[in-house]
Amino acid sequence: MTDENGGIVVEGVARSFGSVQAVNDVDFKAPPGEVTALIGPNGSGKTTLLLILASLLAPDKGTVRVAGFDPVAQPGEVRRRMGWMPDTLGVWDSLTASEVLKTMGALYGLGEADRSSRAEDLLGTVNLTEYAKQPARVLSRGQQQRLSLARALIHDPEVLLLDEPASGLDPGSRVELRSLLRSLAAAGKTVVVSSHVLSELDEIADRAVFVSRGRSVKSQTLDEAGSQTRRYYVRAEPMSELATALQSYGVRFETRGDSRREEFLIQLGSTAEASWLLRTLVLGDVVITAFAPAGGALEETYMSLDTDRR
Amino acid sequence: MSTVTEPSTPQPVRTSTSLPAWTAVRTVFSLEMKQRLRGRAWYWMLGVWFVVIGLIFVLGTAFLGTMDNEGGILFDLVVGFVLFFGLLVAPGLSANAVNGDRAGGTLAILQVTLLSPGQLLLGKWLASWVGSLAFLVLSSPFIFWALALGGVDASEALVSLLMLAVELGILCAIGVGISALADRPLFSIVSTYMVVALLSIGTLIVFGLSSALVTEDRMTTTSYYDYPDSAYRDDGRFDEDAELECITQTYTTPVAHTEYVAWLLAANPFVVVADAVPYGLPDEPPADAVPDPYAYAGDYYAPGVMEMASQLVRAAQAGPDLDVT
Repeated sequence: MTDENGGIVVEGVARSFGSVQAVNDVDFKAPPGEVTALIGPNGSGKTTLLLILASLLAPDKGTVRVAGFDPVAQPGEVRRRMGWMPDTLGVWDSLTASEVLKTMGALYGLGEADRSSRAEDLLGTVNLTEYAKQPARVLSRGQQQRLSLARALIHDPEVLLLDEPASGLDPGSRVELRSLLRSLAAAGKTVVVSSHVLSELDEIADRAVFVSRGRSVKSQTLDEAGSQTRRYYVRAEPMSELATALQSYGVRFETRGDSRREEFLIQLGSTAEASWLLRTLVLGDVVITAFAPAGGALEETYMSLDTDRR
Repeated sequence: MSTVTEPSTPQPVRTSTSLPAWTAVRTVFSLEMKQRLRGRAWYWMLGVWFVVIGLIFVLGTAFLGTMDNEGGILFDLVVGFVLFFGLLVAPGLSANAVNGDRAGGTLAILQVTLLSPGQLLLGKWLASWVGSLAFLVLSSPFIFWALALGGVDASEALVSLLMLAVELGILCAIGVGISALADRPLFSIVSTYMVVALLSIGTLIVFGLSSALVTEDRMTTTSYYDYPDSAYRDDGRFDEDAELECITQTYTTPVAHTEYVAWLLAANPFVVVADAVPYGLPDEPPADAVPDPYAYAGDYYAPGVMEMASQLVRAAQAGPDLDVT
């Protein structure tokens, strides 16, 4: 868990811009060695919170510790240990990919040789080696996104803050991002990922913090999320037989409205309950063609919070 | 916020959290210069600049071809125009340095590094100054051409160039400063132009208007030689034996004490450049020498625009001469 020398501890943080209260009251912890997801609808204050963690914004109140240091009082200490990937691309158009990384290395105090080798390694990590000598403007959006990730990693930070890292990435790059983040966490780094692509986070995050209207409304680990009530969708051939069977077992169901296919949605309390229903249906000679959780564990929590989406 | 409930913060132990100033400024400088050198806009501006200064110089040469002190006047003309165009170019190069990066999303990326705000500003200022010095370098062929025509002292030329460089540096500093304060590049560029206008035209207007405020009625004494009335005889002929008399007149006249407001002009870039140059004025006659009323003091020569500006400013600084003899 979080100790005094690592991870992120946020307590009662608030920040407003004029009359707009961007962050109201946020508490959360992100321990080292884990990937923490920051989840919330658009405009819920995720980016503002990350800017506060990145020492670029001072909170109006509350305490923040990044890698054990206060970003307001000791920004230098925090910046040395923290890598930030912004949600905007922010690319120096005319610089080559490798120049971008070397410049950033220099600004983190890396020596000439260090930054060259580090830049080369990272370009390999994010699969941009062949673009090392290309100006950044010829890179596609997804490639620029990967360059931005490499930029955040140039000084081998203990804490990594990623604002929507997966947006604009192709499926292959997403898989690579996932394994990169998992390996960073395995190496003991603190990783915070903000996103609203919940299926993405399901697979990489160890824990999740839900933010709504500038407040942290729920914080849970993925294990907890997995053991809660979930909805399953079931498809059978024909559907009428399934309906009769479900009615005879007294299971409530509804027709799924947001899918192209005809499916039933069933609310089930646990995995045990789900496996019981599936076995009973199959033994009762209903031809089941699909039986699966309706969404990821995080999506379930997200929807159950019933946060107002604006 | 009480200190008791706050998580403790460990003391910094490992490597330093700030960059050596030189490394930081050099990195920002080279980042800026790389972008400028790889873009097209700067080269276009340099090209237009060269053509315009060249045209003015060639026209000036043709116009002044037969005059005395051609080199001096041309030199002053080129210096004046280089300063004028520099006032137009420097804000364009500097006034979006900081908020342009903010708009492009690259400012935050620099801020999140170990770079301090001062180092960032210094690097940006240096880059925009060097960028505008290129315009000065590009006009040097004409400056040297004017020098070759003679009439200008090498020290005059050197000080002129130095002061032009200093003025460009000041303008770039103003531009970078405003760009750090203003949110939008357009706003900061326009504001910088307004400041430039204020300095170069506004100071003149304020000086002109405020000289009315320092005008007062003063007794003024003048004396001059004239023939007495008795020298004109009744028959209208002139008495050739009459002697010149010294006539002293004292009368009241409005006098502008420009010396009280001349400091306003010290903010004017043209005045700064013009007045810093050590013009090779003819030697003052010795104090005890009897002035020859019909001759110029020293050798007369036509001053260039900048030298004329310098002389006018010095006259304004001296204020009125109440005891003219």
